[in-house]
Amino acid sequence: MEKRKYPLYFSFPALAIFLLFFLTPTLIGFYFSFTDWNINADTIRFTGLDNYRELFREPRLKTALTNTLIFAACVTVLQNVCGLGLALILNEALKLRNLLRMVFFMPYVISPLVIGYIFRAIYHPENGVVNHLLQTFGLGFLAHDWLNDPKIALYSVIGTDVWRVAGFSMVVYLAGLQFIPKDLTESSAIDGAGYWSRFRSIIFPLLAPAFTVNVLLSMIGSMKVFEMVYVLTEGGPGYTTEVFFTYIRSMFSTGQFGYATAVNLMLFVLVTVVGVPVLLAMKKREVEM
Amino acid sequence: MKNNKPALALVTLSIAALAAAGCGNSMSNSSSGKSDSSPAPSTAPSSSSAAGKKEPVTLTFVISNTVDAAPYNKIFAEYEKKTGNKVELQALPGGDFDNMMKTRFSTGDFPDLFLMQPGTKQNVKLRAEETLKEWSGDSAVWSRIIPSMKEFQTTTTGKIYGVPFGSIGAYGVFYNKDVFAKVGVQPPKNYDDLIESAKKIKAAGITPFYEGVKDSWPPQIFYFTGWVSNVDPAIKDAGVQKLENNQMKLADIPELKDLFMKQKQIKDLGLYQNNVLAGTYDEMQNLMGDGKVAMAFMLDGIIPQLEKKFGKPFVTDKLGFFPFPSNTDAGTALMTPPNQLMIPTKAKHAAEAADLIRFMISPEMVNLYYQTQPGIPIFQNATSDLYPVQKTVKEFIDAGKAKVNVQNRLTPTFADFQKTLQTFFIDGDVDKALKEFSTNYEKDGKAKLLPGFQ
Repeated sequence: MEKRKYPLYFSFPALAIFLLFFLTPTLIGFYFSFTDWNINADTIRFTGLDNYRELFREPRLKTALTNTLIFAACVTVLQNVCGLGLALILNEALKLRNLLRMVFFMPYVISPLVIGYIFRAIYHPENGVVNHLLQTFGLGFLAHDWLNDPKIALYSVIGTDVWRVAGFSMVVYLAGLQFIPKDLTESSAIDGAGYWSRFRSIIFPLLAPAFTVNVLLSMIGSMKVFEMVYVLTEGGPGYTTEVFFTYIRSMFSTGQFGYATAVNLMLFVLVTVVGVPVLLAMKKREVEM
Repeated sequence: MKNNKPALALVTLSIAALAAAGCGNSMSNSSSGKSDSSPAPSTAPSSSSAAGKKEPVTLTFVISNTVDAAPYNKIFAEYEKKTGNKVELQALPGGDFDNMMKTRFSTGDFPDLFLMQPGTKQNVKLRAEETLKEWSGDSAVWSRIIPSMKEFQTTTTGKIYGVPFGSIGAYGVFYNKDVFAKVGVQPPKNYDDLIESAKKIKAAGITPFYEGVKDSWPPQIFYFTGWVSNVDPAIKDAGVQKLENNQMKLADIPELKDLFMKQKQIKDLGLYQNNVLAGTYDEMQNLMGDGKVAMAFMLDGIIPQLEKKFGKPFVTDKLGFFPFPSNTDAGTALMTPPNQLMIPTKAKHAAEAADLIRFMISPEMVNLYYQTQPGIPIFQNATSDLYPVQKTVKEFIDAGKAKVNVQNRLTPTFADFQKTLQTFFIDGDVDKALKEFSTNYEKDGKAKLLPGFQ
């Protein structure tokens, strides 16, 4: 098939917007991370690696890093497991299939802030639905103060975020499932392959591009989590649910803009370091149909 | 590609110009604020003097939503009757009030006046010399206010940027008198006495102390009110000055470490409520009002809250107060100066706002304020019908057994103290908590670029 070529300047408007609103601020931010930019100072001085040296000495950042990685790993796995499960179920010829697809996708379009406030009520130790349901079903011994118990607070936030984003993964997997030729699955069924065999040998390998998109998006999104943690726990109790962005926010609020920008840049490096190998590995296992 | 060159050059030029413009604006923190930041001249024509000529204006007045707006609304209704000017009250969330004000200042979104926590440390936060109206020389204002409040507001360079308004507050131990009578205990003579009383209360099936750890801020009260009875007598004012200049470390004060150990002792003895991490300010009020909790280390903001929930008779007859006791005596009461009214020099109606403040501190309006919200007055000859707990505080003040909160005497703040205390309630590690408390204080001083902290 002949490939038509278009003039390069067609890309200039998009390129200009990208340069102006993404690359330029990023480069300026990169510069500021090497300065002592502070709301209380009249001038901004270049301080070299001072911010980074200070950053690596900060125990709070280590807590934030650990929590961010736990959060990202759990959300990425659970979001994809739930999303894939929902997609497989709602890809079948069910009554109310479209309605159910909409219902499961709906949390994704609601603001995380709103969801956070709703779940604060749901998790309330005395009046919350979760503990009431547990008591109703005779599981009162499992009732907790879900957001204030330091051992489980982070996992309560993870659960809430998975509930919010699983519908998005479902939609991507559903789209991937539409691209799998029906004759492949039907002929394997005629040949006597069970559902699990069909899933393992046909559906799962052919869903690889959807996996790549979903895993990468959920990983990057969950490493940048802020609103959900902020509304539900404000990083507490203590620092037990502190993540990168709650730490960055607290540094910005004290007017240490240069230092906060350096922390932000660390997050960018972290996302890149984790994201690129994952992307390469996942692209490798994609198969051409 | 030969036709692309002009377009490429144009795009490059535009980006370079815009980036340069962006850099130019961001490279200086305050240049724009400094150019025309001189205080509004005190001789500026007042709105009231020109009331006949000017159209009425609407002033914006920003307060924290933790402040009761009722007395202000009454005063503003009188102000509107007299001048025709209206006051629009904007209440910002208490927890983020300071940050939101700083943001509004940095974006030029100035209210006409605002009410902020007391103390000269706010001057650092808001860069007062450049942004706020100066009140130092306004004798008509200061002749109305008791001298100690003026001294408290004055910076080391002799400047004042806020007019105090409200009442003297207090921190200490608020208790349910019925519970004390039922168990047969009295306000303590010293700290050991307090713990013994608490043990008796617990033995009677009542929770001795309640701590609202979930709400973050309440556990701090233990340290602030404990400071004036235990730390101040040891380090004295000279010690506080050393802290101000970072010549002394918080972690090196044994009496402060002792406060952490005391709080741990109360927890280890089971004298707090069960599941202390889930404790809230609201639940504390309910349980104290119901007589299920005997005491709380608390600020006097609890008085109007309890009145709302349990009525005036409860506050009058059943609520008691005593200071945090020292190891040897009944202790010192902690005073908090009232909030301060401030005017940004760049406010749209700065002159009218100054007139409003003068109106607010007139004898009639001051008395109207105290009628609506009784409190220990800061104005000369003002009358206020004090609650018994406030009378108790006043007795301590009159006897010279009261001291201003250390936080109001320091420029750096105890940053993230509530987080440190939440962690302390989780792991009970005294040394770790004290070290973090001390380190965060130094970090705040450094972030504010204060002398001695660099």
